[in-house]
Amino acid sequence: METGQFLQYLVTGVTMGSIYALVGLGFTIIFSVTGIINFAQGEFVMLGGMLSFILFDSFGLPMGLTVVLSIAAAALLGILLYLLGIRSARKASPVSLIVITIGASIFVRGVAAEIWTKDPVRPPYFTGSESLSWAGAYIQPQVLWIIGTALVAMIVLHVFFSYTTLGKALRACAISRQAAGLVGIDARAMALIAFGLAAGLGAIGGVVMAPHTTVSYESGVMLGLKGFVAAAIGGFKSHTTAFFGGLLVGIIEALTVAINWGPFRSEYADAVALIALLVILVIRSRSLSAGERAS
Amino acid sequence: MSSPILETKGLTRTFGGLTAVDGVDLSVESGRITAVIGPNGAGKTTLFNLIAGVYMPTSGDILFEGKTLGKSPPHRRAALGIARTFQNVLLFDNMTVLENVMSGQHPRSRYGFLEAALRLPKAHREEERIVLASRRFLNLVGLGMYADRNPASLPLGQQKLLTIARALATEPRLLLLDEPGAGLNALEKQGLSELIRRIQEMGITVILVEHDMDLVMGIAEWVVVLDSGQKIAEGTASQIQKDKKVIAAYLGDEEGAG
Amino acid sequence: MRFGVRALYQNKWAILAFAAMLALLIVVPLSPVLDKYTMLLTFIAINAMVTLGLCLLMGYTGQVSLGQTAFYGIGAYISAILSKTYGVNPWLAMLIAAAAAGLFAYLIGFPIFRLRGNYLAMATLGLVLVVYTLFRELGSLTGGPDGMSGIPHLSIGGLHFNTPATRYFLVWSFCLAALVLSQNIIRSRTGRALRAIHGSEAAAQSVGIDLSRYKVKIFVLSAVYASIAGSLFVHTLRFVNPQPFGFLASVMIVTMAVVGGLASIWGALFGTAVVRILSNEVLLRFGSLDIIVYGLILMVVMIFVPQGLFVGLRDTFQRWRLKRARQEAPT
Repeated sequence: METGQFLQYLVTGVTMGSIYALVGLGFTIIFSVTGIINFAQGEFVMLGGMLSFILFDSFGLPMGLTVVLSIAAAALLGILLYLLGIRSARKASPVSLIVITIGASIFVRGVAAEIWTKDPVRPPYFTGSESLSWAGAYIQPQVLWIIGTALVAMIVLHVFFSYTTLGKALRACAISRQAAGLVGIDARAMALIAFGLAAGLGAIGGVVMAPHTTVSYESGVMLGLKGFVAAAIGGFKSHTTAFFGGLLVGIIEALTVAINWGPFRSEYADAVALIALLVILVIRSRSLSAGERAS
Repeated sequence: MSSPILETKGLTRTFGGLTAVDGVDLSVESGRITAVIGPNGAGKTTLFNLIAGVYMPTSGDILFEGKTLGKSPPHRRAALGIARTFQNVLLFDNMTVLENVMSGQHPRSRYGFLEAALRLPKAHREEERIVLASRRFLNLVGLGMYADRNPASLPLGQQKLLTIARALATEPRLLLLDEPGAGLNALEKQGLSELIRRIQEMGITVILVEHDMDLVMGIAEWVVVLDSGQKIAEGTASQIQKDKKVIAAYLGDEEGAG
Repeated sequence: MRFGVRALYQNKWAILAFAAMLALLIVVPLSPVLDKYTMLLTFIAINAMVTLGLCLLMGYTGQVSLGQTAFYGIGAYISAILSKTYGVNPWLAMLIAAAAAGLFAYLIGFPIFRLRGNYLAMATLGLVLVVYTLFRELGSLTGGPDGMSGIPHLSIGGLHFNTPATRYFLVWSFCLAALVLSQNIIRSRTGRALRAIHGSEAAAQSVGIDLSRYKVKIFVLSAVYASIAGSLFVHTLRFVNPQPFGFLASVMIVTMAVVGGLASIWGALFGTAVVRILSNEVLLRFGSLDIIVYGLILMVVMIFVPQGLFVGLRDTFQRWRLKRARQEAPT
């Protein structure tokens, strides 16, 4: 394979990986602050993309505005999801929380399919679709938007968690909810913010990805799954590792398609990420510190 | 003098920046009723959780009957002969009182999935044995007549007795009682003291964490005092009462200095 | 007052309900009026076995598996391939499939249940998607998206299960056997360990119960149930394609389990029946509204009755009976 082709695959890998990274960040934020696996994480990405299209296409709003509105709407929905869930949290069952997020994710999918459309939609490119040429590979400007946005998001998050009071409060919750409560941090408010933040992040990913890959009512499932793998690589604790984990998943996926030999074919590209998940979980369960183990 | 049934050497446990248990050396004589006391936050429950295997030590070692416990998980320690009760009771409210005690027989019984599913005779025989043994333990704590009740319907004092029966059903050699007297009235505490003595007569070593001084002074043959994660004194009940460091620790606690 | 599983036999209402159900089950395929429901009830029985495993799993491990249809599919395809393509005795094929499904479940469950988080849902979602992809892509083995037909029917000696009525009774025998077997397990030492885990994990450990070992056991059992159901499915329909083994089917099973109730054995049957009838009679007329409805059911039931609908109803009913009994008794 020539350099240009290989680079092309690599670019695709990093592009998709950036989205997985954003989804993975969302999982990590929610899990570290609340201990909940938010099954609907992938749907926020889908919503971001679909809403930005709907607002543009049906309501004629300019793209800049639709982007902002979509992200805000998704964040609000994330908060709503949390609010629906706390009622249940008072009674028994940690199971009920997961099931609620599962229910929410399929509900959102179904509604998107019924109310909007079952077909994939493509919002307009941010800055046009003229490909740039780079060492034999063609890079569309939207790709730069995607990768750039993910990087910026990562940096902003890092600054947020390290230097702002709110960010530090969220990190405190992630370390110990009890201790955080003792110093006056309201765990429920933090959880609310975590959900909103994660949903917003997902939507950002969706908004910036949709013009490039299109988005449809069922985009959320695979994105959620792959983002989950990214978060798993980071142990659901480390944002930076989740970020790079996402990139890794994207690259491995692209390489699987590139190799196109034996079991490494495009039809199995999705499966690669999932098998990676199982492998990661096995590795993690073997190398745990005693504090992390279920017993 | 027999070798100690439980020893800790330099036992330390930190949580992030907090040192809950700090270099504690303990030596618990077999058959002796030992009490662990200390002001709030002294690390008593953490110590119990370390012995029971809920937490792993940050450093230091725990030896049970001369062998190190290492990283063995709680369920294996129960099989080894270490039983415990909990400060917040933790009953199984989805089974009867008797079934709660029967669950304690888990490490002492053996019949599997298949035998149970097909209701083979081996399963029946084992079940009968478990029921008989459990009834004995239930009677020992005086709850025999409540065998078929829902444990949630019992008052706190009897719920605590139930958890003691459940712990006894594991046929332990060491029993850790975490604040058994909390929430009990005077009469119940009297019954508790007598029960602990009966347990001692069965050959089981008892360690209790307790706040009620009268209860401790009444039955403890050896007292260990913790403060801020460190052992500050140990001795007989009367020795401890006069120990200056102990008094200072408790007075400090009363004044709310932390 | 006795409660718990033993109470089932003392409880006259329960005995009545069970007898009524048995009577109905026997009558349906034999009555010219009701026999149009035979197929529906056959599939309810098959699905109930899958739901049963999930109810037990959710109740006793506190985690959700979205992968029951993967095991269902493994059972189906292995049975189909072995019995049709390789001429293996269908009963043997069923056994082999169940063993394979159990092994898979063990391999996945072993690392996952040792971890603290709720990773089972995602991991099993991954499993379902991988398995579905394999069913679709390994065309030479599985017949690809079009599937395989001509799968032999089951038979014992001279008795051939090749009519709707015979298949109905066969499948219901299996289903009821699974329910009764599960009941026996729950009443035993293993069941006590599971109920202890459900009651308080910390206390269960303190009496020597190895949490992850039991959770894995239940997961394996649920996979075996699903696999056997899949084998029965394939021998009933005599045809298989990947379609019933995807993500949507998994969600439907979760919905059935949620309506049935966590850790509830008979609730599994109830939940399966309710959701199946709902989806067949109601939803089919309204196009693809099913995922919306399932999603709503999952959310609403879990928010208001987190132990599951049937269990919630049963508990309310028992509390009502208790109140009545107290009002009538003088003391």
